[in-house]
Amino acid sequence: MISEEKLKILTESAKYDVSCSSSGSARKNAGGMGNGYVSGCCHSFTPDGRCVSLLKILLSNDCVFGCRYCPSRADSDVPRVTATPEEICELVIDFYKRNYIEGLFLSSAVHRSPNYAMEQLLVTVKKLRTEYNFHGYIHVKGIPHADAGLVHEAALYADRMSFNLELPSEQSLKLLAPQKSKESLLSPMRQLQRERLLFRAEKRREHFLPAGQTTQMIVGASPEPDGQILRLAQDLYRVNGLKRVYFSSYVPVVHDSLLPEKAAEELREHRLYQADWLLRFYGFSAEEIVEDDGNLSSDFDPKCAWALRNLHLFPVEVNRAPLEALLRVPGIGVRSAYKIVEARKFTRLTFEDLKKMRVVLKRARHFITAGGKFQGTENVSAVRGLLAADDRQGRAEQLSMFSDAARSALTGEL
Amino acid sequence: MIYFYDGTKEAFLTALLLAFPDEEAVLSSGNRQLTLGAETVFVRTDRERAARAEARLLALDKDCMHDLDLLLRSGMPDRDAVALAYFKLIAARGGPVRKMLAEDAVIAAQECMRRVSFEVHRFHGFVRFLESASGALYAPISPDNDICDLLVPHFRARLPQYPFVIHDVKRKKAAVYDGDHAFLAPLERAEIVLSASEDDWQKLWRKYYQSVNIPSRERLKQMRGYMPVRYWKFMPEKFSDGS
Ligand code: SF4
Repeated sequence: MISEEKLKILTESAKYDVSCSSSGSARKNAGGMGNGYVSGCCHSFTPDGRCVSLLKILLSNDCVFGCRYCPSRADSDVPRVTATPEEICELVIDFYKRNYIEGLFLSSAVHRSPNYAMEQLLVTVKKLRTEYNFHGYIHVKGIPHADAGLVHEAALYADRMSFNLELPSEQSLKLLAPQKSKESLLSPMRQLQRERLLFRAEKRREHFLPAGQTTQMIVGASPEPDGQILRLAQDLYRVNGLKRVYFSSYVPVVHDSLLPEKAAEELREHRLYQADWLLRFYGFSAEEIVEDDGNLSSDFDPKCAWALRNLHLFPVEVNRAPLEALLRVPGIGVRSAYKIVEARKFTRLTFEDLKKMRVVLKRARHFITAGGKFQGTENVSAVRGLLAADDRQGRAEQLSMFSDAARSALTGEL
Repeated sequence: MIYFYDGTKEAFLTALLLAFPDEEAVLSSGNRQLTLGAETVFVRTDRERAARAEARLLALDKDCMHDLDLLLRSGMPDRDAVALAYFKLIAARGGPVRKMLAEDAVIAAQECMRRVSFEVHRFHGFVRFLESASGALYAPISPDNDICDLLVPHFRARLPQYPFVIHDVKRKKAAVYDGDHAFLAPLERAEIVLSASEDDWQKLWRKYYQSVNIPSRERLKQMRGYMPVRYWKFMPEKFSDGS
């Protein structure tokens, strides 16, 4: 059994990775323990409001790299520990059996060398699958500069892999994570995407990263504007087939002259996630949301901001507007849009009906008509004021929908 | 007229036949206070009539018995009224109504079913098994809705080698998987001898839970929203053991 101290150190060094999602895999239990849960499953929530789904842990925090923002970097003075593959496997099995976790998210510092670290990750997940007969969810972090063969083999056992882009531009990487380059991160992503498509073509998708790839970048440690970050995210979705791009607000864990002293504003991260949802579920492009060198509005969520720039498209009539147009109405989320489209087949919807159906009208009423009636405010600057006030209030009281938490967040209303 | 029934599907269907022509019908399976002056009927289950009602309803909506099952599991105080209104509407419209999302009866029924299904989903995550000395797993739960047997297929698929018991301590019943078969049984109290390492694994789990938290980003309200306090009772990460 792993010691409490070791568990603590290896967990604390892993916890800033945002991703904990266990969704996307329908892996079957092949005669052992565990299976996938396509929608993902939260097992607990920590006081920071985050979902605990996977056992998120490093195999080792002993690093030869020197990323400036990282407490595990080579020249920092912290206790170094490394777990054995057996310790990790046992922990997974005994936690899983008690239903504490949905699976494993295994990562590592660059212990000794990229290949050594990647190999240890591979040995651990292979053992877990083949010797411990574990079929629950496994997410493995990829180590940059490791051999393509090792990366490929790890993907044969994992449900999901992620190479973290860390920073949104090559210059920032050079400055803050000098041993990593954009190429060392993007090239294995492309490799995995190519291989994944091959498996898919052979109808063997469940044997190679059934839950695909994700990545993460730190926001606020370097100067890139939101426009650049969103365009990068869009490319990662469109070109590299990523399932999810995570943003993590910079938290100064170490002090360094090249890094900001203060934590990045959480509002910025929140806005980026809202914009990311517009990319993934609402049919928006990055170009529509924000200019290249621009930043997202702090007063309005990105959909409101877009609607205010495109007032000539509104109001739309809820009894007629196509689904795509409903999705673009501020305050109407995926679930409400779907409900409207279903319900209007049976009746001509009024504002009363919308209220009963729990469509939130506070923002939407300025942008829709129902049966020809308009209940919004005509005066544009008054609308702006109301929307901004509503946004502030919403942020103050509403549960953040953008942590990977409740699965119901998938239908979050933007 | 108030129709009392025992909460089972058959009794509900019998009651539905009686209550259908009655505009003022109130259906109740709880210990509802008798309204002074209101007439009451205690519905005795009539299996034959229930079967006929079921067949007729299925002809109108082939999925409606699934809905009824979920509705009758609900712990909401108005679930009988909700179920009655929903089934009356199916009968009145002569077909499935679940997509008539602007109908009050459908809105209420959908909400009621959503809560039951959502709690099942939540408990796929929130169930905590204790390992007994024999290796069998035991999980006490106290859910809002009557769902313990609905949790079995999920755990059976992932832990086929482990016999387990999911014990609804509030309703005093248990869903049991003996390694071969699954069944429901009444269960008042369970005496469990824990395995030698159970305590250590719970300690490690608590340590993990504490270590993965980011204290500088405390959001207790959000945590409680996602994981309501009433569920904490059986979650070891929420025990304070002074360790
Ligand atoms: S590679 Fe960089 S980020 Fe990863 S552990 Fe080493 S120093 Fe930290």
